Amino acid sequence: MIYLIFDSLIDFSRSRETSDKIRFVSLAWQEQLIEANREMVAQWNKANPDSEVEYIQSSWSSIYDYLITSFETDGVPDIFHYESTIIVDFANRGYLTDLAPFIEEEMKNDIVDVAWASVTQPSGEINGIPFLMESWVGLYNKDIFERNNIEPPTIEKPWTWEKVMEIGVQLNHDTDQDGRIDQWGIGMGLRNSANLIMNHSISFGGSFFTKENGKYVVRVGDEEKALLNSIMKMYQELKCMAPESIGKSGTEIIPGFMRGRYSMVIGIGAAMRQQLVENAPEGFNWGVMPPLVSKTQKTGINTQTYSIPKKSKKQKDAFDFIRFAFNTENMAKLARSDWMLPARKSCFELPPFNTANDGWEIVTKSVDHLTVGPWLGTPGYSEWKGRVANPILQELYAGRFSVDEAAERIEIESNLVLSRYQRNK
Amino acid sequence: MQINNVQGMVLKGIKQIIMLILLIYLVFPFIWLVSISFKSTAEILTGGIHVIPKDFYFDHYRSILNDSNLIQSVFNSLVVSIFSMTITVMIALPAAYSLVRFKTNIKNAVLGWILASQIFPAILVIIPLYMVLRYLHLTDSIFGLTMVYVVWELPFVLWMLYGYIKNIPLELEEAAFIDGATKLQYVYRILFPVIMPAIGATAIFAFIISWNEFLFALVLMKNPENVTLPVQLSRFTGMEGQARIGLLAAASCLATIPSLILFTFIRKGFKSGLMTGSVKV
Amino acid sequence: MNQHSLKKSQEFSQLKILLPILIPIILFSLLPLGRGIYLGFTDYTLGSSIKFNGIENYFQLFKDHYFWKSFRVGIVWTIAVSLGQLILGMGLALLLHSRIKFFSIYSVLIIIPWAMPPIIRGIVWRQIYDPDSGILNSVLMQMNIIVNPINWLSSFEHVIPAVIVAGIWGGVPQTTIFLLAGLKNISTGVYDAAKMDGAGIWTEFTRITVPLLKPTLAAVLSLNFLWNFNSFGLVWVLTQGGPGGLTRLPMLAAYEEAFRYGYVGYAAAIGNVMIIILSVVLYFYLRIQFKEQVKT
Repeated sequence: MIYLIFDSLIDFSRSRETSDKIRFVSLAWQEQLIEANREMVAQWNKANPDSEVEYIQSSWSSIYDYLITSFETDGVPDIFHYESTIIVDFANRGYLTDLAPFIEEEMKNDIVDVAWASVTQPSGEINGIPFLMESWVGLYNKDIFERNNIEPPTIEKPWTWEKVMEIGVQLNHDTDQDGRIDQWGIGMGLRNSANLIMNHSISFGGSFFTKENGKYVVRVGDEEKALLNSIMKMYQELKCMAPESIGKSGTEIIPGFMRGRYSMVIGIGAAMRQQLVENAPEGFNWGVMPPLVSKTQKTGINTQTYSIPKKSKKQKDAFDFIRFAFNTENMAKLARSDWMLPARKSCFELPPFNTANDGWEIVTKSVDHLTVGPWLGTPGYSEWKGRVANPILQELYAGRFSVDEAAERIEIESNLVLSRYQRNK
Repeated sequence: MQINNVQGMVLKGIKQIIMLILLIYLVFPFIWLVSISFKSTAEILTGGIHVIPKDFYFDHYRSILNDSNLIQSVFNSLVVSIFSMTITVMIALPAAYSLVRFKTNIKNAVLGWILASQIFPAILVIIPLYMVLRYLHLTDSIFGLTMVYVVWELPFVLWMLYGYIKNIPLELEEAAFIDGATKLQYVYRILFPVIMPAIGATAIFAFIISWNEFLFALVLMKNPENVTLPVQLSRFTGMEGQARIGLLAAASCLATIPSLILFTFIRKGFKSGLMTGSVKV
Repeated sequence: MNQHSLKKSQEFSQLKILLPILIPIILFSLLPLGRGIYLGFTDYTLGSSIKFNGIENYFQLFKDHYFWKSFRVGIVWTIAVSLGQLILGMGLALLLHSRIKFFSIYSVLIIIPWAMPPIIRGIVWRQIYDPDSGILNSVLMQMNIIVNPINWLSSFEHVIPAVIVAGIWGGVPQTTIFLLAGLKNISTGVYDAAKMDGAGIWTEFTRITVPLLKPTLAAVLSLNFLWNFNSFGLVWVLTQGGPGGLTRLPMLAAYEEAFRYGYVGYAAAIGNVMIIILSVVLYFYLRIQFKEQVKT
C-alpha cells in the first residue's frame, strides 16, 4: 500500500517538469501591469512560436531568495526583472551575462544616458537593460494649499529645503481644537531610509562613498550630514514633520496623506501616485512637487532592469525578447502601468508622459536632474544599506544620538563591512 | 450546604470570566482577520473598529478564486501535507512498535535522535539539504518536499506513537501471536484499529506541521508554481501587502480553515484523556 | 536462547523494520546535518569555492557584536515567550481540566492560533499593530489611553513587548494541550485525599499538582524553549529583525548572513554555536529536573 502512495506522489510530481520555453520572471504586482505583461508575452509567442516565452510571476519580497538559490544550481530563469543596485552584487559574484555585446545602436542611443550609467560596471560590462527609472518627487494637498494661500512650486520655480521647512511649520494645524496638532506640514517615509538619504544627499554634495588608495571607504563629512541635519531639524526642532514618519515606509505614509494628515509628502517615489489614483477618497485633490533644491537639484537614480543569468542556455533568444519588450511602445505601456518613467527618450513624447495630468510633466522633467550615485559598483553596497545604514539611521531618528555621533558610527561600521568584501577579492 | 453552593457558583463565575479573557486574547485576532477580509480596502485603511463591516465586500474572496497562483499553492500544500502525513504515520507505526517492544541500543540511538533533532536550527541544515536534493534532482519537486517533511516530522510522530503503544497491554499481542500472526501483521491488522483515535491525533499533528511549514518550502521550492501556501502568502508581505491587505486577510482565513476542521475531529480525544499516553516518556 | 543472542535477534528484526525509514533519514536529516556542521568550519561564500578554515569563523564570531546582540535578543525573547506560554497555558489547562461548562466549544476555540501557519500569525499581528489601520491603536485612542498612534513595530520602546505578545499567542494552544494531558494523568484519588485533609485550592496546586506535573512541565518547557529560540517566520514577517536590530533573533541573523549577504560558512558557524549553547542549557535544566524527581 505504501508503494501505491509513493507511486502516485512521484507521478504527480513528475507531471510538473518545466518546459523548454524561455523563462521570464517578472515582479509585476499591479493588475494593470500584469495585464500589460501578459499581453506582451502573448504577442511575442504568437509571432515567435519557436522561442516561446513562459511568464512567471514572482514578488519583490521573495525574488532575492529565489534568485540566490537558483544561481547556485542550474534552475535559473532566462530573464528576470529586478533593480539596478542589487544586480550589481550579482554581477560581482559572476552570476550575470554581460549584455553589452547584444545591445544595438538604436537602443544605446534611445535609452537615457544616466539609465545606462546605473547598470554599467566600471569595466564596461552591462548587468541589465534598464527600462523604468525611479524618480523622486514630492506630493502636496491642493486643498490645504489653497486654503492657506500657498503657491505650489513649479518646474521653473522649485522649492529649497529651507522653503519646505518654512511652509511645513506654517501648515501645522490643530483642526479639532483639542490642543494637539493633527494636521502636520510634512510627512516622510523614513523607516528604511538609506536609499532616500543616499539619493537625496547628492543634491547637498554628499557622496558618502569615495575611493582611497584604490579601496572604497565611507566618509561622512559636513556635506553628507547636511541632509540628516535638515531632517532632524524638521523633526525635532521645528516639529513640522509628523512623528510617525520615522516608522513608516514610503508606501505606508500615503494613506495618512490621503486622509489629510500631512499637507506635503517629500522624498517620495513617483510610483506612489498610483495609490492616490486608485485609493484616494472622493474629492481629494493632490499635486506633484518637483525635487527639492539644495546646492543642486540632483537626485540619485535607481532603475528597474531585466537581466540574463550567465547560466541561461538561451541568452540570445532571451535578449530578442527583451528587445521586443523594450521597444518604445511596449516600454511606454510598462512604465505607464507602473507609474514610473520609461528609460527611452522616445517614450517621453507619448502620452501620458507628455501631459500635465497627475503630475506627469513634473516627473518627466525630473529626468534632467537624475544622476548616478558614486556608490555604484561598490561591492557590498546592499549589505551596507541593510546592516549599517538603515539601523543607524533608525536609531538616529529615534533620538538615540546626535547626527555627529551617527556619522562616526556609520564610518566605523561601514568600513568594517566594506573591508570584508575587499578582503575576499 | 448553602454556603458551599454560593461559593461554588462564584467560583464557577470567576472561572468563566478568566476563561473569557484568555479566549479574547486567543480568538479575537482571528475574528478581526475575518472581519477585515470582508471589508473594502478603503474601509480597512480608515482604521475603524467595527467588527461587522459597514458594507460586506466579497471582492477579496473573488480575487482569490481568480488568482491561479494562490489556488495552485493551496493545492500544493494539500498534496504535500496529506501525503507526508500518511507516509509518516504508516512508517512510524511499525517503527514505534519496535521501539516499544525491543530494548536495544538502536532504540536508544533513535530516542537520542528524536531529542537532538529538536535542537538543530533549521538554518544549519537548509543549504546542505538543498545540495543533497539538488544532487538527487529533487529540488523544486513536490515529492522531494514531501520526503523532507516526512523525515523531519518523524521524530515527533514517533515520540507520540511510542507513548500510545506503550500503554497497550501485552495480552493483546500475545493473543494475536497465539493465533499465528507475524509481528507486522499484528501491527497493521490489530494494533492499528485499536489505537485508531491516537493515530488520528498523531496524523493531524503531522498534517499541521506540514501545512504550517515555511522555511524549507521557501528554499526548496523555487518555481512559483510549486510553492506551498505559507510561502505564497509571504509574497504579499512586502510593499504589495499594504495595498492588498484585504486579499491577504481573505487568503489567510482560508489558510487557517483546514487545520481548524481537522482539529475538531480530535477534540473528542481530550475528554477521554487521549493525550496522556504521549506525555509519558 | 541466551540473553545476548536474544538481543541480537531483536536488533536484527528491529533493523528490518526500521530500514526503509533509515535511508531517507540519513539522506535528508543526518547527512545534511553533518555537512551543515562541517560548513561551519569553512569560509563558504555564495558564488565562490569552499575552503576549510578551521576555527577562524569562531574567532570572528567572538568579536562580532552583531552576533552577540542577536544572541541577547534571542535569550530575552525565548525566556519571555516561554514563560508567557507556560503561565497562560497552565491557566487554560487548569480551567479546562476542572470540568468547566462549554468545554467542547472552548477546546476548539483555543486551537485557533495554532491552526494558523506562523507566517499568517505574523500577518494578523502586523495588521493589529498597524499604526494607522490597526485595531490596537484605534481602540486605545478611542478609550483615550493614548494620544498619538503608536508605531508598535517600528518604535524602539514598544517593539519588544509587541513582538513578545504575538510570540506567546502562537504557542499557548499546544502548551495548553500538553499540560492538560499531564493533568489528566494525575489520579483524582490524590486530590480526594488532600481535600479530606482540608487542603485549599492554592495548597492543592503547589503541593500536589505542580510536583506531579514535573515531568510534563519539564518536557513542555524544554520543547518550548527550543522552539522559541529557533523561531523564525513570525518575527520575520513582523519586523524583519528591526528596528535597529532590536528584534533580530538568532535565526533571523543566521538567515541574513547566509541568504542576504552570502556568508554561508559564517552562518553555519552561528548555527553550530547555537547548538552547543542550547545543548548545554538543556542538559543542565534536565539534570536539575531529574535530580529533583529522584528526591521526591
